[in-house]
Amino acid sequence: MAEKWYELALRLSKFYGGKIMIVPKVPIRGLKDFAIWYTPGVAAVSEKIKEGGSDTSFEYTWRWNSVAVLTDGSRVLGLGNVGPEASLPVMEGKALIFKYLGGVDAVPLPVRAVEVDEIVNAGRMVEPAFGGINLEDIESPKCFHVLERLREGLQIPVWHDDQQGTATATLAGLINALKVVGKNIRDVGIVLVGAGASNIRTAYMLIKYGADPRKIVLVDSAGILHAEREDLDKLMLEHPWKYDLALKTNGERKRGGVREALRGADVLIAASRPGPGIIRKEWISQMEKDPIVFALANPVPEIWPWEAKEAGARIVATGRSDFPNQINNSLVFPAVFRGALDARARAITDEMTIAAAEELASYAEERGIREDYIIPTMEEWDVFPREAAAVAAKATEQGVARRPLTYKEELRNATELISLSLNMLRSLVEGGFIKMFNGGID
Amino acid sequence: MSVSIREATINDLPQLLDLVLRLKRLNAEFDPLLKTLPDDELRRVAEEYIKTAIEDRSRYLVLVADADGKIVGVLKADVRNRIFYVPRKEGYIIEFYVMPEYRRRGLGRTMIDEAARLLRERGADVIVAEFPALNQIAVNFYSKADFRPLLYIYARESG
Repeated sequence: MAEKWYELALRLSKFYGGKIMIVPKVPIRGLKDFAIWYTPGVAAVSEKIKEGGSDTSFEYTWRWNSVAVLTDGSRVLGLGNVGPEASLPVMEGKALIFKYLGGVDAVPLPVRAVEVDEIVNAGRMVEPAFGGINLEDIESPKCFHVLERLREGLQIPVWHDDQQGTATATLAGLINALKVVGKNIRDVGIVLVGAGASNIRTAYMLIKYGADPRKIVLVDSAGILHAEREDLDKLMLEHPWKYDLALKTNGERKRGGVREALRGADVLIAASRPGPGIIRKEWISQMEKDPIVFALANPVPEIWPWEAKEAGARIVATGRSDFPNQINNSLVFPAVFRGALDARARAITDEMTIAAAEELASYAEERGIREDYIIPTMEEWDVFPREAAAVAAKATEQGVARRPLTYKEELRNATELISLSLNMLRSLVEGGFIKMFNGGID
Repeated sequence: MSVSIREATINDLPQLLDLVLRLKRLNAEFDPLLKTLPDDELRRVAEEYIKTAIEDRSRYLVLVADADGKIVGVLKADVRNRIFYVPRKEGYIIEFYVMPEYRRRGLGRTMIDEAARLLRERGADVIVAEFPALNQIAVNFYSKADFRPLLYIYARESG
């Protein structure tokens, strides 16, 4: 199965020479028009920004719609540290999705940087050119340090998709899953297996959303995280976020491994390593009534959905599109940035992220949630403008929007921009400017 | 949960030992020259070392923070003579560890103040603390408790 995609991706990436390009968005009636778009006319625009202050750049340039996809290539997909050049195809793919589903002009930006300071500096240095920064595929815990410092230091939204995108989609799915089984987030025991970028952020988001931290249990390769674990001082020095969670979570002081953690739990969110066999059936049968199981590892979930079901799981979600309930960050980042960019937001706050999750959940709920439909699918593209609208409205409410927008305004705006992007690509293909590869590419 | 601070007795030894071992492993994070002995040997040496200190109150001070029977903090100081300087005696803190979940609530500061008081009773008018140079958390802690850098200890391998 994957082999087919590998073969196609290799062949087509070479055929097209990558996946994205830059296309002008102004008409050029003749070379004389360069006097408008370039010199001498452009000098007036330059001066306008100098006089009006840096925020004026959002009005007169593409900055309002541009995002840097910044990476050091240190943790690319499941491949590990492949370096910046090898990360480029992934960043291009990200930029493609940004454009297609969010109408966002995203620029792949792998940088030759190793230390936290270097990546932070790279972000700082490119801030003037972009309306936002999407951090991508940076190893943990480095990614936490980089995100925190850039969020503090910059006046544009900085987002780390591996943490926040996945956490947002997870929260959206969980909101509806809990509704289906009739449980409340405040009461449920939640076990997070894997304490990498996404699950650490998920833990924080769940707490922010109302989960009881004492009922959350994290499990990593060294077992259940608790306040007396031997490696806690090392965590304090290297991974303050995980250290903090070790102190806040697991009020019952569970010890041991996944098996012990799952006994009596309501929810399992696994984002650890490819399965199957990482989560065992007999552990799931030890959970509370109506277990909710998210097995998010790719390409193979920690446990196969049918195995989880056989063991008693009421609701199962994975990261894959060929099973029901796909927890996919592509449902999140194009829309979150669409909304943040349109509001000219200075940040993407946790509350904006939660608003996105709630909107995703409401969309599915309106269509009728059930065990195999707790989150919208990628095909339901009209969820994206709604998410964007929720994000922009929250940014406005919180005072981080340079350009305040109501939900309705942004819904109209985002719908227009996203359909424009879909239509533009369609017309380029229909016009023969982008060659179709259907069946064969020769 | 109430935490009381008192001098250690020999009954505290098993629990206390765990905290000292944690401290040694923490120190090891800061410099390869602070690499600890293999676990069983480390435990044996540390046990002997603490036992001696608990038993000789004239030369040592071992304080523990006791949370309803559970030892959550330890401070061990040596009473040392200062041959050339006045004051003539110092209380020299080498072991000082508080369990993570009892940190950031002033327990460390209370222990230091209590240690200072008891060391003064033992004739030490100066109180000195030793910790890895790169332990910024300790630097901040002692600075806040009005300590200042007094001596530097530099090291390298001799080979």
